[in-house]
Amino acid sequence: MTNAPCLPEAASAAGWDAVCVRYPFERQDSVGPVTLDIRVGERLLLLGPSGSGKSTLLLTLTGLIPRSIPADLGGNVRLHGSDTSAREPWGWATDVAQYFQDADQTLCGMCVEDEIAFALENRNVPAPQIVDAVASVMTQVGIPDGWRRRRTSTLSGGERQLVALAATLIQDASLFIADEPTAHLAPQAADRLHDLLLAKKDHQTILIVDHRLDGLVGSIDRVAVLGPDGTIIADGDPRTVFREKRELLASCGIWCPVSSTLDKALGEAGMASARAPLSIAEALAHLDPSVASPSEIARAKPVVDAFVASCRGASERPSMDTAPIAELVGADCAPFLGPVVLRGINLAVHEGEVLGILGPNGAGKSTLGVSLAGLLLPKKGTRKGAIGGFAFQRPENQFLTGSVKDEIDSALPKDMDVEEKQRQTQSALEAWKLTGLAHRHPFTLSQGQKRRLALATLTVSERWPLLVLDEPTAGLDAHGVSVLADEIRGLRRANRALAIITHDMDFALRICTRCVIVGEGRILADGSPDELLFDQVLLKRARLAEPSCGPARRWLERVSSC
Amino acid sequence: MLSAINPITKLAACLLWMGESILIFDTRFQVACILVPAIALVVFNRTSPLVLLGLMIPFGLFGFGFLTTTLFFQKESEFALQVVGESVFASSAFSAGITLFLRAIACGMISAFFALTTDPNMAIRSLMISLRLPARIGYSLFAAMQLVPDLAAEAQQMRLARAMRFGRRPRRIPGPLEVFGLLIPLLAFAIRRAGRTAIAMEARGLAPAGPRTVMNAPTFAWCDSIFAAMAAAILGLCALLAVTV
Repeated sequence: MTNAPCLPEAASAAGWDAVCVRYPFERQDSVGPVTLDIRVGERLLLLGPSGSGKSTLLLTLTGLIPRSIPADLGGNVRLHGSDTSAREPWGWATDVAQYFQDADQTLCGMCVEDEIAFALENRNVPAPQIVDAVASVMTQVGIPDGWRRRRTSTLSGGERQLVALAATLIQDASLFIADEPTAHLAPQAADRLHDLLLAKKDHQTILIVDHRLDGLVGSIDRVAVLGPDGTIIADGDPRTVFREKRELLASCGIWCPVSSTLDKALGEAGMASARAPLSIAEALAHLDPSVASPSEIARAKPVVDAFVASCRGASERPSMDTAPIAELVGADCAPFLGPVVLRGINLAVHEGEVLGILGPNGAGKSTLGVSLAGLLLPKKGTRKGAIGGFAFQRPENQFLTGSVKDEIDSALPKDMDVEEKQRQTQSALEAWKLTGLAHRHPFTLSQGQKRRLALATLTVSERWPLLVLDEPTAGLDAHGVSVLADEIRGLRRANRALAIITHDMDFALRICTRCVIVGEGRILADGSPDELLFDQVLLKRARLAEPSCGPARRWLERVSSC
Repeated sequence: MLSAINPITKLAACLLWMGESILIFDTRFQVACILVPAIALVVFNRTSPLVLLGLMIPFGLFGFGFLTTTLFFQKESEFALQVVGESVFASSAFSAGITLFLRAIACGMISAFFALTTDPNMAIRSLMISLRLPARIGYSLFAAMQLVPDLAAEAQQMRLARAMRFGRRPRRIPGPLEVFGLLIPLLAFAIRRAGRTAIAMEARGLAPAGPRTVMNAPTFAWCDSIFAAMAAAILGLCALLAVTV
């Protein structure tokens, strides 16, 4: 753990003084006023609900807002003691490495090797040094050598994210800014990148925005939280913020580490650890059977039991006696005009079932999802059942109209009564917290808002008996995921079938009734979440990680065996 | 094999062939300008003849316009024929139309030869190193060239999304209405993509001026000399035969 308090005399690496940003044609500021200072060597986690302006704030740091992205900027932004406007945005690249929220915003469309080398080419670094640096960063990030000449646009979403990280890590800048760097990464890759990003280097300052907190917060020095109105509502040491401001964060729909839920429950039972925990292991360290008394363990056991049960959700499997809603039989699946990535797939989804599709980056999960939805025919074998709905990994792909309201309207049946249509649209807008954005163009929304809109258009109508959701939680805040979970439960009760492609193991455990693990060009395992998601051998083989409640489950097993 | 040749050499050879194709108004010469690059592509680049035929469709349609204009609107096409240096009185309308038609395809085939054998990334790097093309212009050109395959991939995603909304699979070949419906979203994508690429390059330090390293830039080798000599020799021979025979 490295939550050492920063020295008060440490120099400022970056700072915002009463900064507010308003985009053209908007009636209110997207963020601010924000006053925040990051000290040299500090690792700051910036949290906030979707649309609170986190990404906008980061874009002001090197002057991309307002120089390259038009907006009205109020207040002052400082970098290394100078006003940001002292240099052009490209002039800060030697000091600031920026990883944007969308990997396509970081990548320029070259092949992997050139993409990674680009920043050093711009600095006129000698070619032999660039060759060495590229090889080194590819090894660090875990990019296979075979990708060197592949164009980044031919990679999967998660693979692109890895390349984008390598392309920014190679800059070795004194300030590293990462906006949701792990949103599309498989758990093991995400853990490795957290380690890589947060490896302590003297005088390197890290500013990170991420919703995936477990495995990250332990290495963070400070947390600053933006509220829904775009102002700072909490700022301090992560242990203090997540224990003392937990209710406030939860009410704003902001993610907290899973350990804070257990900490709260233990606190209510008078069993909380003296030091606020940042991981499940920390939350239970004082209750280890080797140090805690039997009476303490007996008091804690029901609390931990309830916590593990709440993580697991209702995972009873629906009846498999009914005819499947969609089925792939001996199918060879391939992306459109691409090579076969999965062979001999036999997979059926039944009504009332929530199927989790898990696997490492580039395993072919999205291709399997599109094939299961019936939008692409398998190259070999058959696909049976009606066409399903599909929520694309990039929500922008499925927007067809000019406003949020029209987008939801157009998803409802054409012959629906006008008043009923209006009622359902309004209801969907409210449920997905999009009311104030009804007349905005979908492309002007934040990533989280776009995701919510895409999901709203799919769940508002009963048109599709099967829904396939491709990484539906990526970029969503806690409130968005909670709404999504409720919607999925509702759809399940209505006997609709769902397939969820996800890297979020906690979400899969909470919501899925069955999981398949994809890898090595086939389905590696098919079974209940309880059975698969804690199978260490299988998880290692598929480069996945167990859900964050794993240590609590193991604690319960140890306690039971004592 | 052809992709190993420096893009600058290929560009120079292609421009030379295209220039000759415009200057020499002879049917046989135009046929040679089509066949020579096509055979080179099929033999040395393993390009499918069907791919070449498909690529020539737009050029064929363009050339067909010349042919029909010449055949059916002789009087009105007088000006066009004068512009291309040919008098309607000196040759039959049909042969003039055919030559114009073949010229359009010849220019298309020579362009296809360059495009199918050249990595855009290498072409830009070569231009930046050999012809001192400024990096900002070079990478803008590069981004524009990369947009074509990206647009195709994006169009496919959009087609999947639309097909899903209509509850059917996407058709193998999109109908005219579907293509029309994709135009505006694709244009919006192209604008967004251009903006994002510009920001990505700027954030990673692409400056308007100043020295920069160019990695993996193609160099000139002995195969460039052989290619240039052969391209010039074949062109000279074809031109000579067209003018004298």
